[in-house]
Amino acid sequence: MLTQIKTWLDERIGIKTIFQEQVLDYRMPKNSNILYTLGFLAVIAFATQVFTGIILMIYYIPHPDHAFRSVQDIMTRVPYGWLFRQMHAVGSNLMIMVAMLHMATVFLMGNYKRPRELTWVGGGLLLILTIVFGLSGYLLPWTQLSYWATTVVTSIPATFPVFGETISQILRGGDHVSETTLSRFFALHISILPPLYLLLLGIHLFFVNRIGISATPFGKVDEEKRPLTEYIRKTHPDGYPYYPRFFQKQMYMMMAFFTVMFFIITFLPTLYFPDEANVPADPFNTPQEIRPAWYLIANYQLLKLIPNKFFGIVLQINLVFIFILWPFLDTQQEKNVMKRPVLRGVFFTLIALWVVLFWWGRA
Amino acid sequence: MRTIIRYGVLSAWILLMLLPSPGTAGYKKAFEDEFLTKPWAGEQIEENLCISCHASQKMQPEFQEITEAWQASWHAQNRISCEHCHGGDPRDAALGMSRARGFLGTPKGKEVPEFCGKCHIGIMVNYLESGHGKALKAGGKAPNCVVCHGSHNIQKASINIISEQLCTKCHSYERAKIMKVALFVIEKRIAQIEQRLQDLKREGIYTGAEGMSLFSTQAEFRTLFHTVDVNLVRNRTDEFISKLDQIDKNIEDAHQKLSFRKNLSAFFMMAFASMGIIIFLLTKIKDE
Repeated sequence: MLTQIKTWLDERIGIKTIFQEQVLDYRMPKNSNILYTLGFLAVIAFATQVFTGIILMIYYIPHPDHAFRSVQDIMTRVPYGWLFRQMHAVGSNLMIMVAMLHMATVFLMGNYKRPRELTWVGGGLLLILTIVFGLSGYLLPWTQLSYWATTVVTSIPATFPVFGETISQILRGGDHVSETTLSRFFALHISILPPLYLLLLGIHLFFVNRIGISATPFGKVDEEKRPLTEYIRKTHPDGYPYYPRFFQKQMYMMMAFFTVMFFIITFLPTLYFPDEANVPADPFNTPQEIRPAWYLIANYQLLKLIPNKFFGIVLQINLVFIFILWPFLDTQQEKNVMKRPVLRGVFFTLIALWVVLFWWGRA
Repeated sequence: MRTIIRYGVLSAWILLMLLPSPGTAGYKKAFEDEFLTKPWAGEQIEENLCISCHASQKMQPEFQEITEAWQASWHAQNRISCEHCHGGDPRDAALGMSRARGFLGTPKGKEVPEFCGKCHIGIMVNYLESGHGKALKAGGKAPNCVVCHGSHNIQKASINIISEQLCTKCHSYERAKIMKVALFVIEKRIAQIEQRLQDLKREGIYTGAEGMSLFSTQAEFRTLFHTVDVNLVRNRTDEFISKLDQIDKNIEDAHQKLSFRKNLSAFFMMAFASMGIIIFLLTKIKDE
């Protein structure tokens, strides 16, 4: 029976060939490490978000009068609703962390260099989309935390002269965060961002598959210490097969991902739910501390520190542009960032700066 | 050469983007000044002329202190503003203190129970039937609301208001002490339940229904206290205890649910960790 199904499918879509080429014959670079699984982990995190998000969507009501209550019902009345909400909330933060780590490791290994510039750009845009996912989902529970964090974030574009106010108004659907904002963010979160993410992910994976996985510039294999100058699909004939060896790596990293997720749910269930996250949104009562989500605290702190807000926002937009378009700006042949003292210094300084701003913003 | 061109274009672009900065330094200064503090509270709450006028330098110091006292009060925390007690219109400077709009500046001693009783109806009824209330109405020396609770710097009511220092201003502390003892059991339970609800909230459990139930039990009990009738308080103590027991039971149920959740997610954690370790070991075996 199974053989018949396989044959039927093979006749129509060539499944045996696909499996043979993409799984059994697919070779990974000899010196690839577990950091190569981070992209896969980001996809797993996204799949978890889709699965848990669909369950939450069944019970969630996107209206200010009902949103908070419906989320509380999910937490207390819907069977195992708390589990799916916790997985969704913790998963979203882990997804952003994994995507950030993926970008950082790709950068350190210089794997954004020719001909993989577009793969990097796609990855960078996916990271931005992931953050927008987090931002739009943050408002949905309609708590004091989410309401005021969204007020802060949607106020940032208003620092732009002339059209800044318009951008803020479009985001909010008015002068303040209101039911219109909730509807807009809900629509963005569940029907605009997911197809956009899938489209970008498809493009990203197409580039990864077309050009082939890049080897690291570290270790013994030195074939990729310099970027490629012409199109050659990297097949790594001397590497090891994707299945089962690399597949196993992906699997135990996936298990590690879910272990971390359930560790947080078990021992730190309020990590992403401070006290204000359990109080319904009250537009007339501003909390003492207003902070955006952790992944934007550093940016927010930087914006607070720079006296000229326009300068602050333009500086950050430029940093994002430089980050996305970095492969086109980096002309050095050396792939190993660790062998480039200036770039290495800038990179680690920026990381340190991010950490300092993050802790400062949290204080 | 290409490197120079690339970085030249990049620098030019950044400069172009940043050039307008000095020109826009004063742009929306008010917005920028308040960006560091709480810029949005002011947008949301309508301007209150009572506060802005009383807080201004043209006011005598004792009147200025009123706003400071109110801002630190339980009323302010619950957004009970000047006009809710004193009437008038805080948005209209001309008619802000108009009698036609129900303004009453400082009520006379006898008027105070009705002044506060606009909101605290049950307490007012019980107070007026009490020895304190009857003495006040009879024109004698008797405590009204503000004698015990203060006027503008009103704090959350607690059993500690009944104190030797305060009660002995008018009479001996003996009777008041008996009342305090009678109240103690319930007040202590209320404080404990409040804390447990707070803890539960921190664990991510919505405690709205229990919170409301506690609030109404507490309000009913404190209303009863204002009769200053020790026997009545003692007779109804069991009734309040059973109400508080029910809230406690709900809290206990919520804790059990939390415990189940913790165990279930710990099970998932262990399951994933075990599978991860097994797969990792399998990889190592194959490597060897």
